[in-house]
Amino acid sequence: MKEISKKVKEIASRLLSEGQVDVFLAWEKGNQDYLTRPLVVRSAEEAERIVFDEYSIHNLSNYLLKFRDGNEKVGLVVKGCDSRGVIRLLEDNQFSRDRLYIVGVCCPGMKDPLKAIKRNSGLLQNIPDDDKADKCSNCAYPNPLIYDELLGSEQEPNVKGERQAKIQEIENMSPDERYEFFRENFERCIRCYACRQACVACNCRVCIFDEMRPQWVGRENNETDNMMYHLVRAYHMAGRCVECGECERVCPVDIPLMLINSKLAKDANEFFGPYEAGIKYEEGSKPALSVYRLDDPDEGFM
Amino acid sequence: MKILSKDKVERVLDKLAESAEVFVPLSRANSSGFYSWKTRNPEKEQLMLETLNVYLSPKNVGFPQTEKMYSIIQSGTEAQIKETFEDSSPRIIFGLRACDARAIRCLDDVFLTRGYEDSFYKARRDNMVLIGQACYEPGPNCFCQAMGVDPLEPEVDIVIRDCGDKGYIWETKTPKGEELTTSISNLLEEKELKAPEAKAFQTQVDYEGVAEKLKGMFEHPIWEDLSSNCQNCGICTYVCPSCHCFDIQVKSWGEEGYRFRCWDSCMYGEYTAEAGGGNPRPTTKERFRNRFLHKLEFFSERYGYPLCTGCGRCIVACPTGINIVNIINEVKEASVDV
Repeated sequence: MKEISKKVKEIASRLLSEGQVDVFLAWEKGNQDYLTRPLVVRSAEEAERIVFDEYSIHNLSNYLLKFRDGNEKVGLVVKGCDSRGVIRLLEDNQFSRDRLYIVGVCCPGMKDPLKAIKRNSGLLQNIPDDDKADKCSNCAYPNPLIYDELLGSEQEPNVKGERQAKIQEIENMSPDERYEFFRENFERCIRCYACRQACVACNCRVCIFDEMRPQWVGRENNETDNMMYHLVRAYHMAGRCVECGECERVCPVDIPLMLINSKLAKDANEFFGPYEAGIKYEEGSKPALSVYRLDDPDEGFM
Repeated sequence: MKILSKDKVERVLDKLAESAEVFVPLSRANSSGFYSWKTRNPEKEQLMLETLNVYLSPKNVGFPQTEKMYSIIQSGTEAQIKETFEDSSPRIIFGLRACDARAIRCLDDVFLTRGYEDSFYKARRDNMVLIGQACYEPGPNCFCQAMGVDPLEPEVDIVIRDCGDKGYIWETKTPKGEELTTSISNLLEEKELKAPEAKAFQTQVDYEGVAEKLKGMFEHPIWEDLSSNCQNCGICTYVCPSCHCFDIQVKSWGEEGYRFRCWDSCMYGEYTAEAGGGNPRPTTKERFRNRFLHKLEFFSERYGYPLCTGCGRCIVACPTGINIVNIINEVKEASVDV
């Protein structure tokens, strides 16, 4: 990991000093061992702050949205899951490939800095000291799927299957039980929209939840409006979620959002597949459910 | 002095809950916050009086995330108020810390002073009794003292001091507290106990002069840099005990409807969206700057003390590691001649 960190720093420094990129997205160290945070670098000098370590968990492809307007060339570091986010943005025409310099890192799985700070905060009980972040126990693509330069040695997928088992369990529930399961989880939602903000597939310029005229979703923090928020977001994720798990990781009230997203990914694959979002970039290709055709056999889609 | 022995805490809460809704620090569904004692599920949820604090602050007790204000009925072009939902039922917050008590003072100043009394807040606040717990051991992200809060003397009606196995010292501070103490006096004992030694703060920060310095830093390049990794969610504003922005909206169907208010966040684009389509805070930088200037400068100018109480919750909750202590330090160090 130290070797990779050094190389990332060198690459960033080289790209910035040679003018190949204007901005480079990586990580820096905060004031605790477990605090690694995203960093936006604009000069070779600033690149000295860059680190890559076992807490570099954030999906930096999301930060590309800050640069989508304009002509700046952006370099960034991606792990396997993050690279799918880059493909998402390319497919959605949010970025052109020639504005990107992608440094891929084969990822052995990360630890979660948020869990670590919460565990040490004195504010929460029973936060387990897992070896790997939850999202890294459901990792089908540890190796970057799009890159200009690749670091590290290829890693094996790590799908523990717990999430899939839970999805199966929910599929087998009666509608009432299922409703109750989600009601209980969404009841906790504080509507901070961190799930949306951390999501690379949430790249609409004006989000439906921010629209005022008409206001599609009410702002009350109650069963109806919370449910509406999460269900509408879920539908928008179908066929688009790249399963990076950031929404679930950043949720301050621990809502198991990836159960929903993975179920929808599974359905998209079964109904419209074989299909997995963001695993291969081909110019002009579109995610399932993003194609509109006049000869669509289903009138409902017209 | 009056002592509350630890084996009587639950009895005291039961007794208080007979005549008021008592909000206590509880663990709940992998999180924690102040919840009504009556709603506790004893099999799953623990009273968290001996941890540092809880994750969600008691802000929602006096200022709920969603509060129905009044219902309306329309007849022709006229609208009439059918019912107003001011809620003055008695409430007690038990075991809040000095940082959260200070945050309630911030809300009091905002909602009840400077020429306007918010009747919805006032109804809740007038019938609220605060039982605070003194903090003797600051946590890794605590810096209340630097923000002018005394962790040993929460600004409340009754203070309890944890003396270990021997129980809590029970100190009544106000007439409201006196009344409550009388109502449970049979559950308290008369005994002498010594309060523990206060431990040192792990986080040091110097707020001195920051509000003044920020006056000249609105256009400073520091905001671009500090906000560059902010993802613009609203976690910090919602876990914050003192952030108090709200929106008033209406829900209606046919000729009926109601107005409600709900927490809003200056981190959202919609917060400053204008009817004509403009937005004076179009990007993360302007929103981020506003939040920290409000915490560290604007509120101080108006009320004489900062809006940050040093509880450290935003530091723990921020998904991208933004730390208000670092921000204060950066502001301190920033050169203002640029």
